[in-house]
Amino acid sequence: MTPILTARGLTVQYPGSATPALDAVDIDVLPGESVAIMGASGSGKTTLLHTLAGILRPTAGTVTLAAASGPVAVHALDDAGRARLRREELGFVFQQGLLLDELTALENVAVARMLAGVPRHQAEGEAAQWLAHLGLQGMEHRRLGQLSGGQAQRVAIARAQVTGARLIFADEPTGALDSTTGAEVLDLLLAAVAQGRTLVVVTHDPGVAARADRVVTLRDGRVVADERRAARAGGSGGGEAVHRVATVRGGQVEHTTVAAPYDEARR
Amino acid sequence: MNDLRTTFVLARLFARRQGGDRLAAALPLVSFTLVTALLLLVLGGSQVFFRMDGDIAGTYQALAVLALALLVVPLFTLGAAAARLSARRRDERLSSLRLLGATTGTVSLLTVLEAAAVALAGALAGTALYAATAPLVGLLRFAGQPVGSQMWLAWYWLPLVWAAVALAAALSAAVGLRKVVLTPLGVRTRQQPGTARGRRAVVALVVVLAGVAAMAGLGTLGQLGGFLAILVAVAMAFGGGLLALDAVGPWYVRVRARRLHRKATTVPRLLAARTILEDPKAAWRQVAGVSVTTFVGVVAGAGLALVNAAGGEMTGEEAWLFEDIRTGVFVTLVASFLMVACTVAINQAATTIDRGRVLVSLDRLGVPRTVLAEASRRSVMSVLATVVVGSAVVSAVLVLPILGAAILVQPVAVAVVALVFVAGFALVRAGASVAARLVPGILARPERVL
Repeated sequence: MTPILTARGLTVQYPGSATPALDAVDIDVLPGESVAIMGASGSGKTTLLHTLAGILRPTAGTVTLAAASGPVAVHALDDAGRARLRREELGFVFQQGLLLDELTALENVAVARMLAGVPRHQAEGEAAQWLAHLGLQGMEHRRLGQLSGGQAQRVAIARAQVTGARLIFADEPTGALDSTTGAEVLDLLLAAVAQGRTLVVVTHDPGVAARADRVVTLRDGRVVADERRAARAGGSGGGEAVHRVATVRGGQVEHTTVAAPYDEARR
Repeated sequence: MNDLRTTFVLARLFARRQGGDRLAAALPLVSFTLVTALLLLVLGGSQVFFRMDGDIAGTYQALAVLALALLVVPLFTLGAAAARLSARRRDERLSSLRLLGATTGTVSLLTVLEAAAVALAGALAGTALYAATAPLVGLLRFAGQPVGSQMWLAWYWLPLVWAAVALAAALSAAVGLRKVVLTPLGVRTRQQPGTARGRRAVVALVVVLAGVAAMAGLGTLGQLGGFLAILVAVAMAFGGGLLALDAVGPWYVRVRARRLHRKATTVPRLLAARTILEDPKAAWRQVAGVSVTTFVGVVAGAGLALVNAAGGEMTGEEAWLFEDIRTGVFVTLVASFLMVACTVAINQAATTIDRGRVLVSLDRLGVPRTVLAEASRRSVMSVLATVVVGSAVVSAVLVLPILGAAILVQPVAVAVVALVFVAGFALVRAGASVAARLVPGILARPERVL
């Protein structure tokens, strides 16, 4: 299978720092898999995520994204080019702060489509569908400040998917949530994976990592472990990743299998 | 005693810590510099008239008082913006101090000390700026001769102004701090959007209509009560008009922003509308100074144009006075726009720094930087346009006959006033653009805001 994201010799050296934050990291991310990046604080997790997502430019090495239009050399793009790539090809769910407090839930999601030139009416229609899909019916017109942390993360998940991005980056998406709400948010992210998207998630939480297809562990900017679910489970299960797939009804998460209506409609 | 020593140790630590956050620390300083420089220029300018003698001096002085009264609103707004900004910068750190167990006394004293020190430093820098710009203002001609060195204030004015600026900053900081002291955990709880009641609009409309009636019945009033009655009627009509503007302003801004929000087709328009709706009162307050100036600009501009047309044969002092009133109107207009531009620059820069985390986040999502800059500019300019058009309409209604005649008789004079408004717009736009220049610096060092 062709990787959706390929990094080779990825090195990031921050100015004024003696040791590199990332040291010659090689990684392939396959389409449709969920990859958890773990490691202690300062191990280079977030730096790796930022470099893979084109937020940071590596000091050395390459990042290649298999975009819908063909391979893109992310490391070689200028600021505007990388911003465009993030806007059009990638989705983001971070711990906090990616949404605008003064906008409503609906507007926060619709803005992502409007930036791509979609008329507001259509963008809001698509946004409403996603919010409903993620259990936020009736809350479309609430401002972000009026939503709980878990609800705000659902808005972020809707925003990450509304553009049709095939690759979602998440940085501690459950970090600011209680364990129940965190599990629900993770369910929704994994539901996106079940619908064919790819997820790269940085996390401290072993519970999040346990449910990912693959866990990459960093120490001092190097990859020290890269295990798939089958290997972690001791070889049983035939290497099949078993997802708990979530749908939401009336604000409650139910674990079932869902089709991927929105992806099919978009592509 | 021990408490006092702790306070000073903390004050020193805070002063040092600010080195790492120069941008945020420099902003209040720059604000107080501008406030002081403008305050000294206005004082110096009015002093010119109070040093005059001769028959006509009284008229000049009355007009100078009027101009001063008009500049008080924008100058006060600017000063308040600077003081609020300096208080806001400190809020978070002080909240942490409270949580660490610092006493209310320590926190209050620290705040007042720091605010006063920053304001005083700004006042000193502002005095230098005044010294540098006063000769330029001195090129203006009043009573047939250049103002020149009369712009210089006597030395004893300077410490008075410095003390006033420092005191105002300290007071504002102390008042703003009460919230922090009361609720150490909740410094920046987002408030509900400011309300702006429609009921006020009705009251304002009645006041304006009464003003129009009074203006229309001036002749009758004059016959009944003489010149004094006319004067009182005019003063009440305009005073009422200005009060009505202030009452109705936030509500009108909100109504316009709602419309902007409904019709927004692009992301910057949507963001701008939401920013205004978040606090229509603050959006109005920021540019309210221009509403008063617009009011006077329209009325005085039209009146002057007419007098010019009617009395082409004026000589000597009369001609000077007429010429000088025109100069005075322009100077007041320009000064007012300058103050609003500074207020907008300070407020927008503060907002941009406060929203550093959001800016970094949006940048990470790939939102183009031009979108962010345009949204911030639009949120100011659309309110400014609302305010100027609204004030111009109200004042035009009040003096419709004069204005109509002026446009017919003296189109050039009216056009010149209009041109000053366009230049004022450009000035405020430049002020709003200052904030956009801060964005690349914030995005280049995201770790400072995250």
